[in-house]
Amino acid sequence: MTTAQERADLVDKLGLNGQNKATIGRMLGTGNIGQATEKEDGRMAATIRIRPDELSWDPAILVLPHGGDVDLELINDDLNTHCALLPSNGDRKFIWLVNHSRGRATLNLDGPGYYWFSSPTGNDEGRGLTGAIVVLGDVPPEARLDRPDQPRP
Amino acid sequence: MTVEYVDAGEAIDQGQLSGKLPGNELAPPVVESVNYERILNARSEPENWLTYYGTYDGQRYSPLDQINTENVKRLLPAWVFQAGSSGIIAGASTYSFEAAPIVVDGVMFVAGWDGWVWALDAKTGTEIWRYKHAVPFDVSLCCGNVNRGVAVAQNNVFFVTANAHVLALDATTGKRVWDKTYGDVRAGESATVAPLVVKNLVIVGSSGGEFGVRGHLDAFDIDSGEHQWRCYTVPKPGEPGSETWPSDGEAWARGGANCWLTGTFDAETNLLYVGTGNPAPDFDGGVREGDNLYTDSIIAVDVDSGQIRWHYQCTPHDVWDYDSIAECILFEKDGRKLLGHFDKNGYFFVLDRTDGSLVRITPFVDRITWGAITRDGKVTAKVYPDEEGVPVHFYPGPAGAKEWTHAAYSPKTELFYVPVQDVGATATRRRREFKESIPYWGAGVQVDIEDMVGSISAFDAEGEEKWRWRNELPMCASVLATGGDLVFAGEPSGEFNALDARTGELLWQFQCGSGHHSSPTTYSVDGRQFVAVPVGWGGWAEGFLPGMLGAGHGSALIVFALPEA
Repeated sequence: MTTAQERADLVDKLGLNGQNKATIGRMLGTGNIGQATEKEDGRMAATIRIRPDELSWDPAILVLPHGGDVDLELINDDLNTHCALLPSNGDRKFIWLVNHSRGRATLNLDGPGYYWFSSPTGNDEGRGLTGAIVVLGDVPPEARLDRPDQPRP
Repeated sequence: MTVEYVDAGEAIDQGQLSGKLPGNELAPPVVESVNYERILNARSEPENWLTYYGTYDGQRYSPLDQINTENVKRLLPAWVFQAGSSGIIAGASTYSFEAAPIVVDGVMFVAGWDGWVWALDAKTGTEIWRYKHAVPFDVSLCCGNVNRGVAVAQNNVFFVTANAHVLALDATTGKRVWDKTYGDVRAGESATVAPLVVKNLVIVGSSGGEFGVRGHLDAFDIDSGEHQWRCYTVPKPGEPGSETWPSDGEAWARGGANCWLTGTFDAETNLLYVGTGNPAPDFDGGVREGDNLYTDSIIAVDVDSGQIRWHYQCTPHDVWDYDSIAECILFEKDGRKLLGHFDKNGYFFVLDRTDGSLVRITPFVDRITWGAITRDGKVTAKVYPDEEGVPVHFYPGPAGAKEWTHAAYSPKTELFYVPVQDVGATATRRRREFKESIPYWGAGVQVDIEDMVGSISAFDAEGEEKWRWRNELPMCASVLATGGDLVFAGEPSGEFNALDARTGELLWQFQCGSGHHSSPTTYSVDGRQFVAVPVGWGGWAEGFLPGMLGAGHGSALIVFALPEA
C-alpha cells in the first residue's frame, strides 16, 4: 500500500531530486520552475543555468507567457562540459557549453504546448539535464473552431 | 576572485553540423516553374512526381516503364536516406514515415515525423536542406507522430505540422516563407495531411476526430498564406444536413468528419473529391442519433468557394470507426466520369463524379459482419456496440478493410489494385462525457492479434476481382502501379514486392528491414527510373496491426533502380 505526503517533501525525503541519492541520477521533472520575462514588444528573455554537480537545468521548467521569440542566456557553472539542444522553428539549436561558460540562444516557438530540451551528450539527458519549455496561451482566434465553448477537464 | 565565463557564443542550427559543404545547402530552383498548369498535366512529365497522388486523379499510376515485368528481378537499392530520431519527441514510440515523396527535376521533397521536411538529391540521396518545426511534446495525436507529405508550387514547399500549422518553405533554401495556424490544439486538433495545390490555393484538412472536434477543410493563398475559405464537414444547426444530428444538445459541435487525407480534383467539374472521417464519439451512437452528415462521406467541394456541392455517405450513423477518408480515384468508363473509392467498411463504391449518384457497390474483402450494403446502396447495420459494457466483435476492425493507405489504378490494365486488411476487432461501449482535448471514443476497443490475413487484390471497374496476391498478414501500405505493368506493394514484415499487374504473380522482393506503412512513388533522373519507398513501422500500429506492435521500428527511405549499364 502506498502512502501519500506532500510531493515536495517526499521528493526531498526519498532523494529523487539529486545525483546519486535514491536513483543514480536525478528524476526528470524535479527541478525548479521559472518564468521568462517579456518586453513591451512581446519578445521574451530568460536565463537557464547548470549548477555544480546537480546535472539539472535551473530552471528545469521554463514558462513562456505566449508563443514567439525568446532570448536565452545559458550558463554552465558546472565543473564538467555539457551542451544544449533546444527546440526552435526552422531547426533545433545547438550550443556546446564547456566548464564555466556562458552562451546564448534565440528560439522561435508556437503556443500553446510544451517542448523538451536537453544536453545530448553522454547520458546527461537521463541524469537530469532534460528540461521543458512551456508555452502558455491559445491559438489565434481565427484558428479556433466555430462552436460553443466546450467543457474541459 | 571572480573568473570570467568562457564565451560559448550563439547556439547554431543543428543542421550546420551535418557535414554539408558550403553552397551544398541550396537546391536548384526546380519548383519555381511548377504551377497549376504543370500539376494539371503532371501525367505528361512522368520523370516527376509533382503532387501527392502523382496526378490530380489519385490513380497513383506512372507511365514509366523502364522497370518492367521482364527486368524487375534485377532491381537493386540505389540509395538509402536515414534520419532516425533523437531527443524526446511527441508520440516517441509511434513516429514513422507515412509520406509520398515528391520529385521535381531531380530534387526530392519528403516529410518525416515531428515536423521534419527534407530536400534530397533524387539521384544520390544526399541531403540538400532540412527544415524542422518544433512540435509540442503534448500535442494530441490519435494515431502517431506521422505526416503524409508535402506539396510544391511556385518555389514553395507546403506542409502541415502536428500542432495544426500549415507552412510554406522556400524550395531552394528550406527557409520559412509563411506559417499559419489552422487548428486548435487545445481542442484536440492536429494535422497530418499532405496539402494539395489547386490553382492559387493550398488546401489542407484537419485531424482530431478521436477527440470530438468539428472537421474542416481550409484553403490558403499559395503566395501570401492568406486564408481563403473554410469548409466545415459537420453542419451547424439550421444548415443543410443538420437534420441528421440530434436537434438538442451539441453533438454536432463534436461530430468529427475530419478530412485527414488528401483529396483528388477534376478541373472540368471544378470539384475536389474528399473523404471525411468518423463521427465522434467513434463507437457510441446513442449520443448522436441520426445519419450524422457529413461523416464517413465522399464530399464534392467547389474548389473556388469551398462549398459542398454533393455528398455520398458510405456508412450512415457509423459506430465502427469507418472513416471514408480513403482516396477517390477518378477514371472514365464508357464515356462516364466516375470515381472509385475503397472504403474502410469493406465496400468498393463507384459513383458518377458529376453528381454523386451511385453506379455500383461491391464488397472487396471476404469478412464483413458489421452490416450489409445492397447493390442499390441500402445500408443495414447488424453487429455494433450498443449495450453498455457488452463486447461486440465485428469485421472489418476500426482500421478498415483498407486503411488510409492508397489503392492504385492503371489506365493501361483498367484495374484497381487494393491493399486489403482482413482483420476484426472487439468494441465494448463505455459511455463517457465529452471534455475538450480528451479522447472521445465511447468504447474500449481491442483489434484482433490473430486470425488475420491480407492481400493485394485487383478489381475491374465492375467490381469483379481479377486476381488476388495473398499474404499471411494484412497489407497496410499504399500501392503503386506503373507503365511497366508492375504493382509495387510493401508488407508489414518489411518485404517490398513487385507484382505482375496482369496476373498478380510475385516477380521481385526485397527485405527492407522494417514494415511498410507509406506511399511509394516513382520518377526518373537522366533517363534512369527510380522507385522510392519510405519504410518504417509505427503510426497507429495498435489499430491496423497490433499483432506486430513489437516489430522493429526503422525509418529509412529506400530508393531502387536497375543496375547502371
